[in-house]
Amino acid sequence: MREEKPMKKSQQATPQDETVSANRRQVLLGGIGLAAGTALAPGQAFAKSTEEEAGQGQVAEAPIAGKTVKQRVPFHGEHQAGIVTPRPANGIVASFNVIADDPEDLEALFRELTARIAFLTQGGEVPELNPKLPPADSGILGPVIEPDKLTVTVSLGASLFDKRPWLRELKPKQLIRMAEFPNDALDSEICHGDLALQLCANLQDTCIHALRDIMKNMPEYLVLHWMQEGNVPVVQASAGGEHGTARNFLGFHDGSANPNSTDAKEMDRIVWVTEDNGEPDWAMGGSYQAVRIIRNFVERWDRTPLGEQELIFGRKKDSGAPLDGGKTEFAVPDYAKDPDGKKTPLDSHIRLANPRTAKSQKNLILRRPFNYSNGFTKSGQLDQGLLFIVYQADLMEGFLAVQSRLNGEPLEEYIKPIGGGYFFVLPGARDRDDYLGRTLIEAIRSEPSQQAAEGL
Amino acid sequence: MTEPAPSHSMRFAVAGAALLAIAGGAAFYFASQANQGSKQEAGDFYEVTVTAKACEPNALTVPAGKRSFRILNSSDRPVEWEILDGVMVVEERENIAPGFKSTMTARLVPGEYEITCGLLSNPRGTLTVTPSEEAETASGPSLRALLGPLSEYKVYVALQSAEMVAGAEALAAAIDEGDLEKAQALYVPARLPYKRLEQLAYRFADLENAIDPVADYLEKREADAAFTGYHRIEYGLFQEQSLEGLAPVADKLVADVTTLKDRLRSMKPSTAMLTDSGATIAEQLAHGRIEAGENRYAHTDLDDIAANVEGIRKTTDVLKPVLEPHAPQVAAEIDAALQQVTAELDALKTQDGFVSYDEVDAKTREKLSQSFQSLAAALQKLTDAIQVSS
Amino acid sequence: MHAWKALSVAALAFAIGVGSANAKQEDITLELVEPLADYKIYVAENTKQLVKDTTAFVAAIKDGDVEKAKSLFGPTRTSYEKIEPIAELFSDLDVSIDARADDYEKAEQDPDFTGFHKIEYVLWEKDTTDGLDEIADKLLADVTDLDKRINDLTFPPEKVVGGAAVLMEEVAATKISGEEDRYSHTDLWDFDANFAGSKKIFILVKPLIVEDDPEFVAKVEENFGDVDETLAKYKTDDGFVSYEELTDEDRTVLSARVNTLAEDLSTLRGKLGLD
Repeated sequence: MREEKPMKKSQQATPQDETVSANRRQVLLGGIGLAAGTALAPGQAFAKSTEEEAGQGQVAEAPIAGKTVKQRVPFHGEHQAGIVTPRPANGIVASFNVIADDPEDLEALFRELTARIAFLTQGGEVPELNPKLPPADSGILGPVIEPDKLTVTVSLGASLFDKRPWLRELKPKQLIRMAEFPNDALDSEICHGDLALQLCANLQDTCIHALRDIMKNMPEYLVLHWMQEGNVPVVQASAGGEHGTARNFLGFHDGSANPNSTDAKEMDRIVWVTEDNGEPDWAMGGSYQAVRIIRNFVERWDRTPLGEQELIFGRKKDSGAPLDGGKTEFAVPDYAKDPDGKKTPLDSHIRLANPRTAKSQKNLILRRPFNYSNGFTKSGQLDQGLLFIVYQADLMEGFLAVQSRLNGEPLEEYIKPIGGGYFFVLPGARDRDDYLGRTLIEAIRSEPSQQAAEGL
Repeated sequence: MTEPAPSHSMRFAVAGAALLAIAGGAAFYFASQANQGSKQEAGDFYEVTVTAKACEPNALTVPAGKRSFRILNSSDRPVEWEILDGVMVVEERENIAPGFKSTMTARLVPGEYEITCGLLSNPRGTLTVTPSEEAETASGPSLRALLGPLSEYKVYVALQSAEMVAGAEALAAAIDEGDLEKAQALYVPARLPYKRLEQLAYRFADLENAIDPVADYLEKREADAAFTGYHRIEYGLFQEQSLEGLAPVADKLVADVTTLKDRLRSMKPSTAMLTDSGATIAEQLAHGRIEAGENRYAHTDLDDIAANVEGIRKTTDVLKPVLEPHAPQVAAEIDAALQQVTAELDALKTQDGFVSYDEVDAKTREKLSQSFQSLAAALQKLTDAIQVSS
Repeated sequence: MHAWKALSVAALAFAIGVGSANAKQEDITLELVEPLADYKIYVAENTKQLVKDTTAFVAAIKDGDVEKAKSLFGPTRTSYEKIEPIAELFSDLDVSIDARADDYEKAEQDPDFTGFHKIEYVLWEKDTTDGLDEIADKLLADVTDLDKRINDLTFPPEKVVGGAAVLMEEVAATKISGEEDRYSHTDLWDFDANFAGSKKIFILVKPLIVEDDPEFVAKVEENFGDVDETLAKYKTDDGFVSYEELTDEDRTVLSARVNTLAEDLSTLRGKLGLD
């Protein structure tokens, strides 16, 4: 599966793989783990480009990939990749309805999905078929699939469990159907789902290729319910090696106060389900994923005075620094010294989301959002916004608590959540013999009711 | 152009080739088959003499490939000579007159075959085809290009088969009702679908013998117990003007054409079905049948012949899209030959249909025979024009 | 005397069969002739039925009998939907018979909008037959023309074999959404006919592939079976309930089956050497 062909001359990449693993991830200052720029900035064509280079070549020549196409995120592990993995520039969330009438179907689905993801994320050659048959692969990446830092993260929605008596008892205890918050205008056509895939890669085409591959290979199990593509703007590598977080479509840094995703202990506390969470045994090592498609009214936002924008967020727009001082987005605001919100308004976005009290420590969540641009609306406005993705071990204390605090925030005038859903991320597939969802399938088989039903 | 020159020249070429073959025992084959690179060796004629009682020799062994036979009829009746694979006719030569020779070539694959020898009641001989190294591949239009024409023809066969069964049933019903006049009126419509299909149907020797034997081929002629099928009914309806004894014959005919319909349905499609069968029937018409006539009692041979032409025309119609780009001249030649026979047949039509065949004089018959020979010669070029590598 | 007869082709092919009984996968074989011929007969029967049904449908419209016309709309379309892969080879007729409003710039108001869906629009949205006479006459003329043209057509083999997947693609792309019969919601009639048409092709060529690929055949049959089972729930004495009654679960099941069938049947042409 991992076989690679020699690179063509035109490709500027070095032949070595650059495996991205948790222990090599860059640790950023201020306990902030997500650094959007890391994946793309070094070696990227546009980072090196000069006017001279930009002027050469034929118009339809493919843009030259950087060596980042060789970046490979290990697939096997205790946890699934794509959560504490540094976020690459592009992502897709695709939600499916699942066709599985019994545990055997579900197991077959999980096994096949595991096989597809293992291939796609690790890369390799596309099998050649008789040309009289449809090809095995969409071919959009050519005959060799480069890993390109692809991760595919599989999570399950409440409906998967609720619709199946043999699964109902095993539903993670906090997994619920996403309910509307006061500012939401949820459109059922882009909400919920039995199973979600979060696909992330350096290049959008890699994500699209992976999605098409899975849909082509698994039509009997997966019916697409909705999907949303997203990306984050890449930045120049900075001299200090610190890139900062990406900006959202409102122009503000997003993810500044994230917990340190390279700190395994902190991740165990905040992101991964452990024995402390009281979840079913099969769920250990998994995580709750909340996905929200949040439309931004960008025209109106851009017509709002800068000062007002900054008060709404609680940060400086250019640097991302808190309003009470500091030079970078990673400076920590001191709300204790500003009890009345004179510097950072009490209803500002960052202060509501994370009041930084001892009590709010348990509400920490790991954000991993993308921006989206879906063209335009009937009114001729841009249809843009945030594909908000967040991970936590405890959904109630995590996203639900945070979002409840945010209800009524001034930012609501400029944003409208319209879709998404809550999902539970399966534990990782540990090795080649393992598959995603194994613990759930084994739990089904050891359920007393299931054994009775199967006459065991 | 009603009298196409190519047909003539073809006929002369054929005659010339045959002369060569007879004269030198050499490859007449090469003359007509120059582009085929045949491996037929000089003197490769298998001589068979048909006597009143049997074939001599009565057992033949030949290597696989294209093989030519020269059949001498030493009996005092016209005979047909056939190679049979089970009940299927592989190749046949009809109407070999007493004292005359006829040649016939078949492409044979290894296996055990039977050969017929004169009267249907005579014992059959055997033909053993042994494996040979001769390769038989050729290039030409793709097999794929023939899928459409063949399936169209299959559809035609299916529809005509259904009509054939329906026609026989209607005829049997009229006989059952005791309505002689109605039965007489239904005889021709019942027979036409069979004639349209004859180019395929004749290969089922057992059925052909039950459905369409002529009294001449039977030992006791009209009195022979084996005298069944269309002509037996024709004999009753038009000669004896009586329905007596016809009911079981009609029922048997219904059963036989139903079996024929099933056999035709399960017949394996082949390019020969389109390229060869029309020529075969045209040849049979040209050599004896037109001259002698078959419907001795009803004299409705012109209806038969017209139906045969319809059957032939169907094969050439469906082949047209394949033939025209590959061999436009052959297509034109066939068109002209078909127009010629059609024109000659049309000339024998009155307001009520065709004239009775006993009113068609020998000279007209001879002219028609010649036109069918031209048609046969034109159709025969189909095989060369549509060489398919399968 | 008949030297030319020497040329007579592989006459033995009649007896032995040119295509061997075991068609090698992915090679063209003359064994396709039979399924092709049978399919043409199937199509011809359906166009004949279409003319007959359309005649009655048109008569109801011209009688001004709205209810009768409505009741005939779903069933009349089925013979067309079954043979769509062939019918749509005649693009002019496909447009005038079966185009949807969104194929036209001015949608329902477009003067060029004709055929079944225009009639459907007027019957259901306007609840009348007024102004339909001319369109109904044109529809009958078109289906009659279609019947004739189809009878004269030598079917392209790849269109026939490929048609099994085409029907599924059609359902997957534009029918599962319920947009085909958006005024009458008689989509389940169309569905059923599309599946029947696809299945017919598959069953006809099945003998050519079953030996080499029994698993494929079993899987496709199972998926057709699931579709039948799902659709059966929505059957009434004389047809199908409104598409709006289809539950989300069943729509998901149908969608999965349709896509799986489309995926699997897309290999049918290649398996039979008809690239």
